Amino acid sequence: MYAYDQYDHALVNARVGEFRDQVNRRLSGELTEEEFRPLRLMNGLYLQLHAYMLRVAIPYGTLSANQMRRLAHIARTYDKGYGHFTTRQNVQFNWPKLVDTPDILQELADVEMHAIQTSGNCIRNVTTDQFAGAAGDEVADPRPYAELLRQWSTFHPEFSFLPRKFKIAITAAKEDRAAVKWHDIGLILKQNDAGETGFEVIVGGGMGRTPVIGKTIRDFLPEADLLSYMEAILRVYNEQGRRDNKYKARIKILVEDLGAEEYARQTEAEWQAIRNNPIDVPAEEAARIRAFFAPPRLEVLSDDVAEVDDLARQNFLFAAWVRNNTGKHKVPGHVHVTISLKPHGGIPGDATDAQMDLVADLADQYSQGEIRVSHAQNLILPHVAKRDLPALWKTLDAAGLGAANQGLLTDIIACPGLDYCALANARSIPIAQAITSRFDDMKRLMDIGPLKIKISGCINACGHHHAGHIGILGVDRRGEENYQLLLGGSGAEDASKAAILGPGFGEEGIVDAVEKVVAVYLGEREDGEEFLATYRRLGPAPFKEAVYGAR
Amino acid sequence: MALVNLTGKETGTWVHIGTETTIEDGAVVAAPLAQLVDADESFFKAVGAVGAVLATDADWRAVAPLANKLSFVVINFPSFSDGRGFSLAVRLRKDLGFRGEIRATGHTIPDQAMHLLRSGFDSVETPDAREEAFKAAVKRYQVFYQSDFTGRTSLAHARHARAEERKAS
Repeated sequence: MYAYDQYDHALVNARVGEFRDQVNRRLSGELTEEEFRPLRLMNGLYLQLHAYMLRVAIPYGTLSANQMRRLAHIARTYDKGYGHFTTRQNVQFNWPKLVDTPDILQELADVEMHAIQTSGNCIRNVTTDQFAGAAGDEVADPRPYAELLRQWSTFHPEFSFLPRKFKIAITAAKEDRAAVKWHDIGLILKQNDAGETGFEVIVGGGMGRTPVIGKTIRDFLPEADLLSYMEAILRVYNEQGRRDNKYKARIKILVEDLGAEEYARQTEAEWQAIRNNPIDVPAEEAARIRAFFAPPRLEVLSDDVAEVDDLARQNFLFAAWVRNNTGKHKVPGHVHVTISLKPHGGIPGDATDAQMDLVADLADQYSQGEIRVSHAQNLILPHVAKRDLPALWKTLDAAGLGAANQGLLTDIIACPGLDYCALANARSIPIAQAITSRFDDMKRLMDIGPLKIKISGCINACGHHHAGHIGILGVDRRGEENYQLLLGGSGAEDASKAAILGPGFGEEGIVDAVEKVVAVYLGEREDGEEFLATYRRLGPAPFKEAVYGAR
Repeated sequence: MALVNLTGKETGTWVHIGTETTIEDGAVVAAPLAQLVDADESFFKAVGAVGAVLATDADWRAVAPLANKLSFVVINFPSFSDGRGFSLAVRLRKDLGFRGEIRATGHTIPDQAMHLLRSGFDSVETPDAREEAFKAAVKRYQVFYQSDFTGRTSLAHARHARAEERKAS
């Protein structure tokens, strides 16, 4: 993991000092709420429906065990004993007191964390594959580049007041687990024929009320040129992105208006003009950062572990967990383990302070002290020896963290919705709870197979409903919460936009509708065909008929 | 209004003029860009020194033909959130090689002091009540992750500068 040097510490501590000063000025009445608003937003402090909410950055979703313990401590000391992990691989605390927030930021700074640029119209937390550095299918670990981008984008003098927020994601694997085509900038790490490392650069993806899948503007950018090329993209956007309408201010609208080719041309021209300026880092710095992400020394072990097979034969839930929640590691005899934060009937992405402490201890014991957060709102232990799986699972299961549903229908992404969010039109969490309660049957879920449900409580799409195999969008219909059903989206390498199936439903109706959609799939699927493939083969008609036919 | 000097270089004083203003010979004047684009040589001969007042949406290319006639530039922020002003200053420094004073007017906030300075601004006009906060903000941070227009190279370069010096010697 990256470790701060004296300069990184100095910057983050200076930020805490600045924010403490701002909060004091607000508390004394020197600043009005209107004046304080842009300042608190630059430090991730939102005012929600009932209280302030503090969003803490987890750069590219990587946490140490000690950092996780600090999050647990903050949840216990300054909040109501829980935190919420988000689709940006961050964590949110829902009940901090304003007066405590400078102390919280100091506690974070002490463990090399911060809330910088977790809100505002700036470059947000760079996200990546939650299995980075562990996954068997990656070209290289994408996190050194994410850290490079974190540093370059932090307090950028020119790009801190963009037309709108700006999100960058990187993947290095064949399977896109970072939804790069749905980002303002998506980067795919690859090697060219000469064996050099570089990026395919995608711009103009985004969700919100106008979902757009990003377009490739460069097939191969040498890795050494990453920052100067990013600067060129951002300068074109900062100058020409719309500022008259916040719903048309994202880069996706500018890329649509100019055309991807013209956007590429302008970027290229600007990049040629600046690429020799001191923007890209010296090779020594790239090497310094890369060294922090050296693979852990793991013993090569056998993939055949009798204890795992024995327990799997005796215990269906363990067998399901091994099958769904663990995946192939670079080092034989090891796996990465997804700890589901989606217990059936529970709140997606929430973890209690005790659970966070437990995950930290398990990371120390079984995973080289490392933890990841996924954009699907789960936690990952990236480096676990297969032989440790029985003991690990028993401990997790006893703490309510043993759900075997990773990637299945109940592994739902949901935004906080009207339970917390001032922008929401409808609640999201209770819909997720109702669906996971309705489908609380592991055998049935395993039979249904991979199926991603994503729920947003308003058109801003924080719950990624556009990219759901089944998407649910909460709207306000004449004062009533109403839920639209969308089908056929994907956030993966085969990215696609989900389409609305028909009129919306009430709270009960939407759960019934999901069940009917699943029934059509089960009836129509061909051998081994997953839900999304069946939908793409059949189109919406049979689903529509099943859902609306009886009306 | 207070004038906060960000760079420590000498700041100018000038009068803002419009199309109807009578100009005294030798006066230091600031005029809207459109007026300067239309002005003839006699205008530039008559005034002592001239600066352009730019909106944040001004195209830097339109300033290019005038750049060597301008002693200073004023960039007027309609709102602190209009970040085009930062890119405009960068363009003046980087693409036009402009070396005169660049001043921010309009709506900026003290927390932008470093952004202004590092994008190439020399000074900022702000309500008196914000003067002290602006001055404090300039001093708060000592190192940065990006190279900037104060002449400072990025932390990434600074971290290895000593190694590079050793190589050079």
